[in-house]
Amino acid sequence: MSVEIWNREMECQDRDDLAQLQLEQLQATLNRAYKSVPFYHDRLEGSGLGPSAVRSLDDLARLPFTTREDLNQTYPYGLFAVPLRDIVRIHSATGTGIQPAVSGYTGNDLGIWKEMVARCLTAAGVGPEDIVQICFDPGLANWARDFKDGAETVEASVIPMTPLEIPKQLMIMNDYKTSVLVTTPSYVRQVLREMERKGVTPKTLALRRAVLAGEDMSQTTRSHLEGAFHIKIHTAYGLSEVPGPAIAYECKERNGLHLNEDHFLAEVIDPAAGAPVRPGEAGELVLTTLTAKAYPLIRFRTGDRTRLAMEPCPCGRTFARLEVLAGRADQLVVIRGVKLHPRLIEGIMTRLIKGGQPAHVGFVKRWEGADLLEVWVEVDEALFSDEIKVLEILAHRVRRELEQSLGIPVRIRLMEPGTMNEHRNSLGRIIDERRNG
Amino acid sequence: MLRIRSLGTFYGRVRALDAVSLSVRHREIVTLIGANGAGKSTILNSISGLIPSREGEIIFQGRRLNGQPPEEVVRLGICQVPEGRQVFQPLTVLENLELGAYLRFRKREKREIRRDLDMVYSLFPVLKERRHQISGTLSGGEQQMLAIGRALMARPALLLLDEPSMGLAPRLVLEIFRTIRRLRHEGLTILMVEQNARAALRIADRGYVLETGRIVLQGRARDLLDDNDVKRAYLGRDYREFVEGRM
Repeated sequence: MSVEIWNREMECQDRDDLAQLQLEQLQATLNRAYKSVPFYHDRLEGSGLGPSAVRSLDDLARLPFTTREDLNQTYPYGLFAVPLRDIVRIHSATGTGIQPAVSGYTGNDLGIWKEMVARCLTAAGVGPEDIVQICFDPGLANWARDFKDGAETVEASVIPMTPLEIPKQLMIMNDYKTSVLVTTPSYVRQVLREMERKGVTPKTLALRRAVLAGEDMSQTTRSHLEGAFHIKIHTAYGLSEVPGPAIAYECKERNGLHLNEDHFLAEVIDPAAGAPVRPGEAGELVLTTLTAKAYPLIRFRTGDRTRLAMEPCPCGRTFARLEVLAGRADQLVVIRGVKLHPRLIEGIMTRLIKGGQPAHVGFVKRWEGADLLEVWVEVDEALFSDEIKVLEILAHRVRRELEQSLGIPVRIRLMEPGTMNEHRNSLGRIIDERRNG
Repeated sequence: MLRIRSLGTFYGRVRALDAVSLSVRHREIVTLIGANGAGKSTILNSISGLIPSREGEIIFQGRRLNGQPPEEVVRLGICQVPEGRQVFQPLTVLENLELGAYLRFRKREKREIRRDLDMVYSLFPVLKERRHQISGTLSGGEQQMLAIGRALMARPALLLLDEPSMGLAPRLVLEIFRTIRRLRHEGLTILMVEQNARAALRIADRGYVLETGRIVLQGRARDLLDDNDVKRAYLGRDYREFVEGRM
């Protein structure tokens, strides 16, 4: 028997009680961050504010934002609020520059993440009788670990992430009688393609649900995948920087994702003006951690376009519901759930190529159902070498470096001078050539 | 049951509490821990109306307590057991207990008071044995029991305990804490300030950690017991004292 709600006391609590809890947690978080993190101390002082500037939840809007750029500047441990000896896990995620975004966790912090995933899986109807197969690209290994911990917490039988290729994963799914697949929407599409190739029909599989995270997904795609697999799909929302794949999660109503408001405070802002939008309007999601001990984030700009619904949900949970919208409020491109900033490509080129930055454009392509990054690099005079081999080695190194940073497949195309003219206006940028969905 | 939002309290010009928010739910045991002078007792005294609070609000069962005189706070159902077992030394045990029910005598609740007296005696049989003894001659532990018993005679819904274990031998500390747990079992809600953080967190549901007038940590008591900052700052010394019996 699976319970429908993992932590009824928290997930279904009275909104007034929740507001009180959030105020208490927020004030304690600010006091700790001010005391232990020079970055936050200086930021608050710089705005003429102390830690006690927040006397109500609305006061949060007076505090400065934290951006991905700030995570980059404070690499590696600059935002940690506890000494390293208290840290039991260190996570890296793709950053805006060459350096990854690093976050740390105390034992209690990990317990919180575990519970959030347990809430998510429970809401998706996953329980002890399920066999849960977790498949992510290496770039989302953090989430794979979190899902494993959460799935074990709800006592499911877990097949953790492995580096196996799709055909092997499909074999496991079939032979082990996997009932729940946890992955990204793009991964599911690849599995589907493989099934078609092998002539495997959904009837032979024991699969009944999928929990998908990492990319927004249109209603059409969802219906298509559900029909093709004969499954029910639940989605989850997370950040890779704070490796929670389940900051928000879908219940059986599947009408927005319940945000774990006892651990996060959400604001929706107009990305240009930085001011809060009117309730229910679309804007950029800004998150503040309420319980994280080791790695507090204050007003972190996620870049994700969302809408927040406060109306009660028939499932009984009182947490606000997040609607994740397509597109982004920043320059990032999401490929297979991994976030890519154009500056990462630039940074790697600068490091590997002596004598100046060659012209380049990034493309996100969908090839045989699989998304990948393709980078066109113009072989200019500085780069040119008589030996093809030298160029090949260079291309190989750029590719390897990008793949290592992102954990997704990358292709490099060396372009003859002049052939990139039609992309003159997009140099240094990333062009998303995937069709919607 | 009790909700405090952004409380600010001053001693003259000196700020003692800065944006303190905390809450106690029905039948919970909540503990405030922190170093000396962090502001723990100030919070209790602000709730009781002994110190005026300048900022924020204190709401008890839907009613605002700010600005209420102490006797009104007692009437509303909050009773504080002060630090250092301040019993009326020259009076007998019984007289002390009856004083606790002072507000109720005026309301002629004689029969109920009788019953509550029996309840206190059953909780602390030693008080019954010594009911005619002068309180000043009781041992430290017995005086603490009397102080708690006296507070219970006011029939509070919320009991505020200020350092109930202070100066007691380890065996008595255990007994006092056992009693606190029993009081909760019988329907009382408890907010407790304690130096003995470990013992307090063991019986509490939730806790708040205070540092120089600000709350720096809050959460489930079992998580706080596991927290390294709490262990370093508050648990180490208590543990040593407990084991070595240095009191």
